[in-house]
Amino acid sequence: MLETLEALAHGFSIALSWQNVLWALAGVTLGTMVGILPGIGPALTVALLLPVTFNLDPIASFIMFAGIYYGGMYGGSTTSILLNTPGESASIITAIEGNQMARRGRGAAALATAAIGSFVAGTIATVALTFVAPVMVRVGLAFGPADYFALMILAFTTVTAVLGSSLARGLTSLLFGIGLGMVGIDLQSGQARYTLGSLELLDGINVITVAVGLFAVGETFYVASRLRRGNQKVEAIKGSIWMNREEWSRSWRPWLRGALLGFPLGSLPAGGAEIPTFLSYTIEKRLSKNPEEFGKGAIEGVAGPEAANNSAAAGVLVPLLTLGIPTSATAAIMLAAFQQFGLQPGPLLFQRAPDLVWGLIASLYVGNAMLLVLNLPLVGMWVRLLTIPRPLLYAGILVFATLGVYSLSNSIVDLITLYAIGVVGFLMRRFGFPVAPAVIGMILGPLAEQQFRRALAISQGDYSVFFTRPLSLTLMIVAALALLVPVALDMRAKRKGRTVEVDD
Amino acid sequence: MEQQIQGRRPVAWGDLLVALGVVGLGAYFLQGAYRIRVLPSYSNIGPRFFPFLVAFALLACGAVLCVQALRGVRGIPEEAEDVDADAPTDWRALLVMGGALVVNLLLMRRGGFIVASTALYLGVALAFHERNWLRAVLIGAALSTAIYLAFTELLGLTLPAGIVPL
Repeated sequence: MLETLEALAHGFSIALSWQNVLWALAGVTLGTMVGILPGIGPALTVALLLPVTFNLDPIASFIMFAGIYYGGMYGGSTTSILLNTPGESASIITAIEGNQMARRGRGAAALATAAIGSFVAGTIATVALTFVAPVMVRVGLAFGPADYFALMILAFTTVTAVLGSSLARGLTSLLFGIGLGMVGIDLQSGQARYTLGSLELLDGINVITVAVGLFAVGETFYVASRLRRGNQKVEAIKGSIWMNREEWSRSWRPWLRGALLGFPLGSLPAGGAEIPTFLSYTIEKRLSKNPEEFGKGAIEGVAGPEAANNSAAAGVLVPLLTLGIPTSATAAIMLAAFQQFGLQPGPLLFQRAPDLVWGLIASLYVGNAMLLVLNLPLVGMWVRLLTIPRPLLYAGILVFATLGVYSLSNSIVDLITLYAIGVVGFLMRRFGFPVAPAVIGMILGPLAEQQFRRALAISQGDYSVFFTRPLSLTLMIVAALALLVPVALDMRAKRKGRTVEVDD
Repeated sequence: MEQQIQGRRPVAWGDLLVALGVVGLGAYFLQGAYRIRVLPSYSNIGPRFFPFLVAFALLACGAVLCVQALRGVRGIPEEAEDVDADAPTDWRALLVMGGALVVNLLLMRRGGFIVASTALYLGVALAFHERNWLRAVLIGAALSTAIYLAFTELLGLTLPAGIVPL
């Protein structure tokens, strides 16, 4: 415990250098901006910045990326409160209550409770991260390749089973990603795979190209094909930013409950922040003294879920930093960022690059504080972003996307790949295939294969090793449950639905 | 007395095409897996294992998706901020946008980054029903020039200059 505090103190000494503070500021500002703007999110932003930060100091880059990550959460809630159409599913809940509050002239209070709640929960979660990380590192050191493989299988199953409309679609997306990751030279045997005789493909397909293609180009194609006509109404921010006593007293408990709920759920390989926010909403509704207000602008319905959202975001960093397992698309891109700098997150990272890890964790505290200042008093400024005409916005996104990918190796082939993947991204969105599993599959797939083959090399071809090691066996069972339970529940629901129809 | 017959849902043609595409993808990975050369001296799990696994799994998923599509089960299109999920697909917008991308590819080397990006900007803006094309050209040119300068001067990356004397 004392060692952790020492490490954290050292981290602060790094995070509080004026350069790193500026990088943190850049990150959170950028993050808030992209969180507010439609069509572009934290995952895409980090992917686009990867080529740019190549020559920069890794600590500074990661401080900026973390700022973007957190900032994206804050910005997203601003949009869902002021505009009735949120992009991500985690923001839907905030939109329900928050937008209602805005319509009733209490928009400023909604923004305030979201921002303060995010700060409180974010800070609590970062404290939790600080103390849980070293413990997880010790656990991680006991992992052998078979256990790592089982853990990655768990990550795969939870990502496909929870996200997306159907299992077959989620699985297809995941397999597509894994397949893309297999292109190139197989490191363990030196053989070329799927390279179509091309020298360029020997190096594999760059994950940035795929990420930008799926997120930026694919999204833009999709929005172009179904553009919402007419301007959306942006609610004016009315009321005082400083919440009154009643609003405070109704908010602080949901903040704490949201924080406690979000962190553990976010750190499990359970795919993202939707579950904690929905759960928080349900809990707040049950515990509220004014449940009839829900649906019409209950402040608890904003305070709780926003807190849960932010602490889940910090939770996602736990498996990412301590075990190298990403549990969301943004986490997968951050993993790719680590790889780009030649670092492999996991227990060894804490030993080999403590400056980076603890500097990063310390800067999360700094970033959270900055975000509070950015998002409350300055919110009027951010709101202007919502009024950018869509044609100009999306055109700009594509120019940046082209630039980002072209600057990787000045190759037209990269651009062709980018646009082709963009078409795939469009098809995926149009036909209900979730995009996140493809990114996770592409980044985690090669690692999973590596661990699989290592495990079998060590056990000399004995496949039962995955089921005889206790850790591996447990993880495999959980993975199987994660896959089968939703399917079973779904079938039960369908059977019940059918009986009702027949009775009619 | 009218009896309500539970009608069969119509085949989801779009989804069926995509499902067939997935099967095709699986087949592609399968034949690619056969082509991977394995050194006879390599005794461990070879480089073919995972590719075969992925290929078979994709074929299985494709088959399931085909069955679903034939039964009329449609994928649910994604909801997003600027999207009206119930609207029919605007093919004109897609074609204009695709055209803008192709133009960008053609112009990038010869015309240079600034020219290509301005054309791209204009094309995408038009695809999104921007009426004031002059404004789009001006903003596109300004944005592209700013990015070009920032990247080449400040960050030291190289971008094709093309016909613009910078």
